Amino acid sequence: MATTEIYRYLDCQNKKIGLDPEGYLVDLDDWSPAVAQALAEEESIILTREHWEVLDVLRDFYARFEMAPAMRPLVKAIGQALGSEKGRSLHLMRLFPGSSAKVAARLAGLPKPTHCL
Amino acid sequence: MLLHIVNRSPATSQVYRQALEGMGQDDRLLLIEDGVQGALPQLVRYYDGLQGRLFALKEDLASRGLLGRCDGEVQVVDVDGFVALTEEAERTVSWY
Amino acid sequence: MSETPTADLLVILRHGPHGTSWLREGLDAALVAAAFGREVSLLFMGEGVTALLPGQGPGALGQKGSSATLEMLEMYDIRTLLVEEQALADFGLQVDDMRLTVIPLSTTGVADALKDHRLILTF
Repeated sequence: MATTEIYRYLDCQNKKIGLDPEGYLVDLDDWSPAVAQALAEEESIILTREHWEVLDVLRDFYARFEMAPAMRPLVKAIGQALGSEKGRSLHLMRLFPGSSAKVAARLAGLPKPTHCL
Repeated sequence: MLLHIVNRSPATSQVYRQALEGMGQDDRLLLIEDGVQGALPQLVRYYDGLQGRLFALKEDLASRGLLGRCDGEVQVVDVDGFVALTEEAERTVSWY
Repeated sequence: MSETPTADLLVILRHGPHGTSWLREGLDAALVAAAFGREVSLLFMGEGVTALLPGQGPGALGQKGSSATLEMLEMYDIRTLLVEEQALADFGLQVDDMRLTVIPLSTTGVADALKDHRLILTF
């Protein structure tokens, strides 16, 4: 359901991974931790344990609700899974600068969040 | 006071029931498009109890050849009257 | 004559899952509004009450339903789920048949809910 056609390719472990114009995976099944690493490099993000926790929460969220969350519900889901200390938008913005919900969804191999601009 | 707008005929659609259910005691109802069929004497019974608060849009009645066939209970308004009704209401709610 | 509304946005859902995209579009509108910090209430009327039945699945051709989205409402802090009592009766359903916690509204309750909200969107 994700998107349309391939706009460009991401090189990852000698494989070409199709991305849409906004950098989201065209085929969500292409995702692997290595793909997340390669996508993170594009954003100049070095994935730490704290990043991976968030990506896990996102992938769980998508498995459950079939949608990528906007910022508010993402913060809430992180709070529920990882504790209130981490369930804050500042924590997310520090890990994934810019539009955190979108960047994190991209690295987690989800479609673009539907309900944020 | 809210203005409710119905554009479906009570002869073919149950939407009128939802509009009636959503109406408060002093709310008004305006019939437009196919909804104006509800202004006919045979159909106006669906809107029983709305005396003085039931309106139908003149232009839509006219284009359907129904102008002049309305029940006496129904107040016919033109587009300017529609605008006035909208202005008098706090909000409008469309039922379609 | 009438008091100031105390609640924010009311999204009225009058269509069941599948069949048309009205339910999905209504839910989308509610989620966008909630993501931007509005307080959203949902009112299920008419056929819309069937959206709250448990055990729904994808369409015959594999189309996504709205089940997962309804489960997600809580994550968007959408907790006020109002249901038209008359519609439940029309479909032979009870409040207990609904898979989320809902508040049944009598006929006057529905009118009051409309009066109570600053903004109303019908789907």
